[in-house]
Amino acid sequence: MNIKIKKALKIISQIFYKTFKFGSLQSVITIYFGVIIILVIVFMSAIIYSKFVKTVDNNAVIGTSQTINQVNRNLQYYLQGMNEVSNTVAEQLNSPTSNGIEKARDVFKMTITLRKDIESIAVFTEDGKMMVSTSNLPLKKGLDVKSEDWFQKVIEEPGKINFSNPHVQNLYKGEHRWVVSLSKEVKYNKNGKEIRLIALVDMKFTSIDELCHLIELGKKGYVYIINNDGIIIYHPQQQLIYTGLKNEKIDFAVNNEDGSYIQNNNGEKTVMTIKTVGYTGWKIVGISYYNEMVTSKKEIYYYIISVVAVSIIVLFVMSLIISARISLPIKKLEKLMARVEKGELDIYAEIKGEYEVKQLSKTFNSMISRIRNLMDEIFKEQEAKRKSEIKALQAQINPHFLYNTLDSIVWMAENGESKGVITMVIALANLFRTSISRGKEIIKIKDELENARSYLVIQQMRYTDKFDYIIEADEAVLEYRTFKIVLQPIIENSIYHGIKRMVDRGMIKVTAEIIDDKLLLQVIDNGLGMSKETAESILSKEPKGKVSSGIGVKNVHERIQLYFGNEYGLEIESELEVGTCVKIWLPKLKEEVG
Amino acid sequence: MRIVVSILLMQIVLCLIIVTGCTRQVNNISDNAQNNIKIEVILKTSENDFWKNVRAGADVAGKEFSVDLSINSPLNESDVEDQISLVNNAIERKVDAIVLAASDYKKLVAVSEKAVDEGIPVIIIDSALDSTRISTFIATDNKEAAIKAGNMLVQVAGKHSNIAIMSFVKGAATSNERQAGIYEAINKYPGIHVLGIEYSLSDERVAQELTKKLLKKFPQINAIVALNGPSTIGTARAIEELNLIGKVKIVGFDNITGEIDYLEDNAIQAIVIQNPYNMGYLGVKNAIDVINKISIARTINTGSTVIDKGNMYLPENQKLLFPFVK
Repeated sequence: MNIKIKKALKIISQIFYKTFKFGSLQSVITIYFGVIIILVIVFMSAIIYSKFVKTVDNNAVIGTSQTINQVNRNLQYYLQGMNEVSNTVAEQLNSPTSNGIEKARDVFKMTITLRKDIESIAVFTEDGKMMVSTSNLPLKKGLDVKSEDWFQKVIEEPGKINFSNPHVQNLYKGEHRWVVSLSKEVKYNKNGKEIRLIALVDMKFTSIDELCHLIELGKKGYVYIINNDGIIIYHPQQQLIYTGLKNEKIDFAVNNEDGSYIQNNNGEKTVMTIKTVGYTGWKIVGISYYNEMVTSKKEIYYYIISVVAVSIIVLFVMSLIISARISLPIKKLEKLMARVEKGELDIYAEIKGEYEVKQLSKTFNSMISRIRNLMDEIFKEQEAKRKSEIKALQAQINPHFLYNTLDSIVWMAENGESKGVITMVIALANLFRTSISRGKEIIKIKDELENARSYLVIQQMRYTDKFDYIIEADEAVLEYRTFKIVLQPIIENSIYHGIKRMVDRGMIKVTAEIIDDKLLLQVIDNGLGMSKETAESILSKEPKGKVSSGIGVKNVHERIQLYFGNEYGLEIESELEVGTCVKIWLPKLKEEVG
Repeated sequence: MRIVVSILLMQIVLCLIIVTGCTRQVNNISDNAQNNIKIEVILKTSENDFWKNVRAGADVAGKEFSVDLSINSPLNESDVEDQISLVNNAIERKVDAIVLAASDYKKLVAVSEKAVDEGIPVIIIDSALDSTRISTFIATDNKEAAIKAGNMLVQVAGKHSNIAIMSFVKGAATSNERQAGIYEAINKYPGIHVLGIEYSLSDERVAQELTKKLLKKFPQINAIVALNGPSTIGTARAIEELNLIGKVKIVGFDNITGEIDYLEDNAIQAIVIQNPYNMGYLGVKNAIDVINKISIARTINTGSTVIDKGNMYLPENQKLLFPFVK
């Protein structure tokens, strides 16, 4: 059980931490929800509880009063019954049909047979002589009836009906019955002479005892009866009170009106309900224990607390779930957004859910597509810019080279080398023809090789046989296409950096072949070569300060990659004092493109 | 829309939780009564008024403090074995405390101490038990009661009297204590002579015969103190038989059937009565205190009252003398 709870808690907390980021939409919704729910529940429970408590208190008091009233009614019924019996005594004695005392005795005997709650009926003369009694027992020897309490009270107040306190009847020999005695004066007409008699009706005390004993005022509550002097008539713990083991606030009951009073009884709250009984001036006092009456109060208290706790937990989980549901689409969008941030632009947000979320998704989608368009535009612009830059560079070489070449031609003309002049001018014309190539960017390999040859012829003449050159090309290669002016910048580099400063006569070899289904053009020289680092840096680094004449090697590389992808381009292999080999990889392109 | 549906669903779940919580709560309440303190009261017998009063007192305490009370007793007061088995039974039922009126000073010791070993406190009422491990002993202070009887004897018989003592069991703790009390009271009066002391063995007829013999032997005896109920009845019968009512005064003990009549007929001048109701009440009350770890006195005196013809109908004594027990 415990382990299960622990596991559940662990899972819940995991879910909680996973889904619950403070400051997130979900957490804000959950917390607001939670606070509102808790406030409402606590507030409602407090109201319900206080209302309930009031009702319970009221009901407790009302319940006790009702019980006491019930006791009162029953007690009055008994006492009234006794009074009626005593009236019958008077009537019987004076009845014209009755034959005096003997007849009366029979009627009395009949009465006590019918009324089980009456113990005995007796009539005494003023001097204490017994006239009639329902008891068959003789009076006690030496008993002075006149000194008995009930007798004296009638003598003192002749007109009044007197109810005694419960006592052990002390009249008959060998009999000790607990009774409540009613005594009153009755008149008896004996031979026209009116005699004063005292009638005594003894009611079984057990009737009262049972009446009160069976009263339930909770488990501990009880009822007691006192007379107007504060003497206890009935108390379930009478003996404890006599021996001082228990105290009862009798004075309070005597001195206060009927009603309910809350008291503190040895640290326990009790409700004392007082009710005065008719005829006798007795008071019925009900003591109920507050705690007991309101056990339900405590129960309801704990019940409400537990319900509140459970509801708060359930509602909290509910608000977690609800807030998750509300924030889920937004979270999804957030995740998509994060992907866009990383550069994924081919994303589409599903348009579903609540109105706002739909709108948001729509806006998101249109935003993404707009960004995509803008990116494309920028890309195209950039490309166009680059092309124009290249064109500008291409345009640049010609005057520079032309100047040098023309300079060389002038030199040769001055020296009268007309043959050389002719060769050079033809080569120059060739070079320009292939360079311009009617404005095409892509030309046949054949033409490119022709272009390279023309360039090599011119340069060989300019550098007066500083190097030799060979051009080797497979027949198969010749009809493929390439950018124009791919070889020329590389050959230029070979001459300027590899051959020019050589002491020996250099050699430049240009080849064209097909390897691995790609075109491979190579420019190989046996010039000064360069370090590996320098070789590597040529393609990667920006040209430093010194702008090499013509189109840079790097530029060629970038152009190829830009047009054909990264698998093509330049490769430079070089070794100091050995030479340099530049490989140009191209796709096998048959048709004109671009 | 789906959110609304899910909220509704959760509210239904919540209602279910509350409802099921409610029913469980109700069950708990009804179970509560069984979790109460259980106290076993074992008396000597259920027959006579004395024990009925003990029982009534115990019942009242049980109700007052809301404990589960079970009151048992052997049919016969002398059935020690039965009482031992009642104690054993209570131990088996794992009651929280035992209130015991031991029928025997020695024979109940073993089983009572077994209960204490099991963690069940034992409260002894009415008659002492030969054990120091009991929680408390609640009874009449016999010596004190006997001093009252002795003083009463002097009062009714005069300071120059020849008296006899009708005790019950020679060597029994109660009779020894009561005799000691009598002597303590009368020793202050040099004019009082004790002419005889007899033991009735708690048998009315034995007491009657012994009284007759005693009076034949010592006709000058003018007062007899009888130290328990049967002795008192027997003595009074002998006096009645010998027509010596009023001439030989009797001060008796306890309140068994017949004593009141002799008191009213002047055959007995006074009786000293105990307070069995309080014994029962205090037995249970102190048991609860022991369970609740409230310290209580080692011995508790429930008191005794001298009743004569003059005060027997006073409200406070009526209840003692004429208890209404069903």
